[in-house]
Amino acid sequence: MELTNTLMRAGLDPIKVALSSTKQLFAMPEAQLLGFKTSLIFEAFTFHYNNNAFYRSACDEKRITPESLRSPADLIKLPLIPIHLFKANDNHKLLSKSLKSVELEMRSTGTSGIPSVSRRCSETVDNAILGIYAMYREFFEISKGAGLYLCPSNEEIPEMGMIKALNLMAGLLDTHKFMVRSDNFVPEDALNQLSVWENNFDRHIIGPPFLINRFIRFLKATNKRIKLDKNTLIITLGGWKRFSGEMLSRAEFNSECMEYLGVEKHQIRDIYALVESNVVAIDDKHGIKHVSPYIHFSVRDPQNLDKEVALNEVGQLAILDPSARSTPGFILTEDLVRLLPKTDNDHRSGQRVEYVMRLPESTEFGCCAVNLDKQLDETEELHSSACPVVA
Amino acid sequence: MYNDIIVDNFSAPNYVGDLETADHEIEIGNPVCGDRIKVQLLISDSQISKAVFRAWGCATSLATANVFCRSIEGQSITTISKRCTQEISSMLGELEPSQRHCLDILSELHSKLVSQLDIGVA
Repeated sequence: MELTNTLMRAGLDPIKVALSSTKQLFAMPEAQLLGFKTSLIFEAFTFHYNNNAFYRSACDEKRITPESLRSPADLIKLPLIPIHLFKANDNHKLLSKSLKSVELEMRSTGTSGIPSVSRRCSETVDNAILGIYAMYREFFEISKGAGLYLCPSNEEIPEMGMIKALNLMAGLLDTHKFMVRSDNFVPEDALNQLSVWENNFDRHIIGPPFLINRFIRFLKATNKRIKLDKNTLIITLGGWKRFSGEMLSRAEFNSECMEYLGVEKHQIRDIYALVESNVVAIDDKHGIKHVSPYIHFSVRDPQNLDKEVALNEVGQLAILDPSARSTPGFILTEDLVRLLPKTDNDHRSGQRVEYVMRLPESTEFGCCAVNLDKQLDETEELHSSACPVVA
Repeated sequence: MYNDIIVDNFSAPNYVGDLETADHEIEIGNPVCGDRIKVQLLISDSQISKAVFRAWGCATSLATANVFCRSIEGQSITTISKRCTQEISSMLGELEPSQRHCLDILSELHSKLVSQLDIGVA
């Protein structure tokens, strides 16, 4: 609380300072970091409590007021917005600001086809962009190179959250190419592009896991192995479950990347993110995901959501995000995760998380990636049943 | 970013609802972005006596559904079928490029209504 007050007295916005001080926050002692992010979350809570009638009524029902929140132990008291409400057709009630101040609508569409729409005001867009770039710099340290995007461009699907988040990285690179065009992915073109960039750029492959897996399947089928660069990163974002329901194994994915793309395990990095929140949790070089340090993950017992599970135990993820201003950033997801303990060789404070799976009773799974997977399968099927062209 | 028509209709969607037994239903959608609108109608004496909707998607498409229902309720089917493109376009006010796909949604709602009720445009 003291740090927050000092920053405010100096005329600074504590959340903006936090967003641009990722490295310093990761270097703080645990208790100090928890205290700082707690004060940011309580300030955000007060804003939504005062400006959002829907959220306020949930608070009144639980008899939670800004005055009743004093310490990190009180974080569990914050009313949570179930994530499915972002899909509801009356999701206007989630807004803490007028629609007039909303600058950006982003969406994610899972297997049900019903989009989850999140609306961000200018202040929230500022926060999201600052936070995402800071985390990309912290974990990827990218400022040059070439990005082979195994996904469609924002031009083709402008509002898709996953593509938008990945596309932000393109600004850090020297060049990039989107390899999925008009629902078509031609792996030969991707391979050719990598060879055009060879010896000119560090080549990075970026996209949802299943699409990178699709590229590897092509390499496997044609018995080709490539050797990417020592600074290459294979960056994944999106679900690990295919439209068909088949789960991609992370271990198998890593081992195939190593065999067919010629990279080391520390070069393969996954991002956990969701369109409804500004959080990104990114793999470090040991494959451990670190949560944005100003955001708090509270892992709940799915049978009793008022209770947190212990470290290392699987539970339902609740996100407390103080950077969300247009809608409350206090969200109950349908994801099962576990928080991991800090290991001896890990210099960062804050939370580490492992994604386990979507809640079994969840009515749907997947994000934009799962629909992309379905479309590509359908396109391939269409082409495979087409009449052969006879010369 | 959003004009007053969109803000008002999104923020107070008075025509959201379901009918247990509807005389007609119109449903349109875009499988890629997920925008979906379902309109239910009660019709008596060639007049739309009630129109309600459920919609999923961007704020402008939700507002579009409300604008459409408000504009057809109490109107005769013949009157609605005579609306010209310009009249339909003006119903949503000035839109930004990223919102203009909702003009297509509004036109599609009109043409589905007209074709479903089997009335040609005069």
